[in-house]
Amino acid sequence: MPREAEPSLNERAFVVQALQEGLRVDGRAFDQYRQLELKFGEQYGVADVTLGKTRILVKVSAEVTTPYTDRPFDGIFTITTELSPMASPAFEVNRPTETEVLLSRLLEKTVRRSNALDTESLCLVAGQKCWSIRVDLHVLSHDGNLIDVSCFAVVAALRHFRKPDTSIEGGHLTVYTPAEREPVPLSWLHSPFCVTFSFYGEGEITILDANLLEEQLRVSSCTISLNRHGEICQIAKLGGTPVEAATLLQCASVALNKVKEFSTLLDQKLAEDAKRRNKGGLLAELSAENER
Amino acid sequence: MPLDTSTYNLALLRIDGRRWNELRQLRGQIRTQAAADGSSYLEMGNTKIMCVVTGPSEEGKRRNQGASSASAAGSGSSTSASATNAADILVSVVVGGFSTVDRKKRARSDKRIQELQATLAKSLAAVLHTHLFPRSTISLSLHILSQDGSLLACMINAATLALVDAGVPMTDYLVACSAGSTSSHSAADERADPLIDLNNQEEQELPFLTVGTLGASDKVVVLVCESRVQVSRLEGMMVAAADGCVNIRAYLDSVVREKGHRMVAEGAVEKGASMAMDIDV
Repeated sequence: MPREAEPSLNERAFVVQALQEGLRVDGRAFDQYRQLELKFGEQYGVADVTLGKTRILVKVSAEVTTPYTDRPFDGIFTITTELSPMASPAFEVNRPTETEVLLSRLLEKTVRRSNALDTESLCLVAGQKCWSIRVDLHVLSHDGNLIDVSCFAVVAALRHFRKPDTSIEGGHLTVYTPAEREPVPLSWLHSPFCVTFSFYGEGEITILDANLLEEQLRVSSCTISLNRHGEICQIAKLGGTPVEAATLLQCASVALNKVKEFSTLLDQKLAEDAKRRNKGGLLAELSAENER
Repeated sequence: MPLDTSTYNLALLRIDGRRWNELRQLRGQIRTQAAADGSSYLEMGNTKIMCVVTGPSEEGKRRNQGASSASAAGSGSSTSASATNAADILVSVVVGGFSTVDRKKRARSDKRIQELQATLAKSLAAVLHTHLFPRSTISLSLHILSQDGSLLACMINAATLALVDAGVPMTDYLVACSAGSTSSHSAADERADPLIDLNNQEEQELPFLTVGTLGASDKVVVLVCESRVQVSRLEGMMVAAADGCVNIRAYLDSVVREKGHRMVAEGAVEKGASMAMDIDV
């Protein structure tokens, strides 16, 4: 089983010593994120997010299927993560590493279990037809903090996504092409974001957005998912060095501020994208005028 | 199946008649399996777990496929023991098909189980002195016999008992307790009471979290919350859970001391000067 190359003893000592002196190797402040960039694709539901050297691509797709028999009024919503060897030699195809399992569980808890997407709205004909929304997440480059970036990318892509419009007449379901009817957005209830804290020393040094090297050297980590209304969707501190309870409570309030920033950024990007796509409505589209 | 929790406000009694800060009945045994290096059986109400520890022993030929591992330095990614000169901790969780009301077959590769295994392995790595056993493995096998809420908390407590029995040196007991909050996330009333040690019915209905602390201190090793809850409720819930942990630690300690006491009385171990525990026969 291939493993990530471990940092050398010198690197270890240097990074940890620097952190104890209040410095990070890349010169950031302890609570500073790297540059977060979000690009939407030509199609609806494609988001390409980069945070420093970490890059993640998310694609959302929808199809009509039959619902699960035990939940006839709910649509299907799945998130699949793929950590390919392209991102890091430690990842293998068809063999989920612990990182991947924990990442997909976290996204599941943050986005799916917190009911960010109203799955009941995906139902078309109870017990017979529903939308199946599928989110595919690909890690293109791994330089730490996969969780926060993945969550941001998934939420961005889902909010950007439009599913084809449908109508039911006399038990007959019609799915319209984008040319016939404008696709409709998903029924989105709230936007949760993850913020991951890394701890060093005896748990007294806390940093945000650790890069790969810092991630390998941390003694413990804690991921808090919130929406901007201050609702915790999930907290995961899965073991590691003990941390004072007061520190964790402080982390929660820091996380809330960060989440508000993420939320504003995403709203702004979505508005920009909507503006770019809107070429003046139906009038502009139906005009027969040509550019000469 | 929604549960009517509105009755709580009438008498401040929970569905099973407890008050907010009462634990369910705890019942624990250690050294239940004669053949194992360490073993325990713990009941927290109707959640029943059996834990068997093997090791510290020399590293086997192949790592157990289904189990999650962590070593002392293991943080983000699990590192192998050979590189860190500390014992590897392997945890495997077996969920009995008969443990819940509806008999469901859970695959060993279920992500939820894998997450539980990883959580246990990493949190135990933080409290055990694994550096004393380089190039060796401590493997834990937890069998869930019955589930009725606070599953993770019960697993952590059972694992601690078994590791005490196996004689693996540790900083302090790793104890865990769950805590919830009355009224669901949508109701923004400030009068919500925290509750501790939730049962399955309460877990279905209320937001809850699991806190694992190092002994009776307020150092948090594990903090898992899987439901939506206002951030302002977090503090109350964590304090209540930490309070529960103190009580659970006292109980686990009494189980260990009682067993030690009985073993000395039966002459299974000599009361030697080397024993740090003060056992009065």
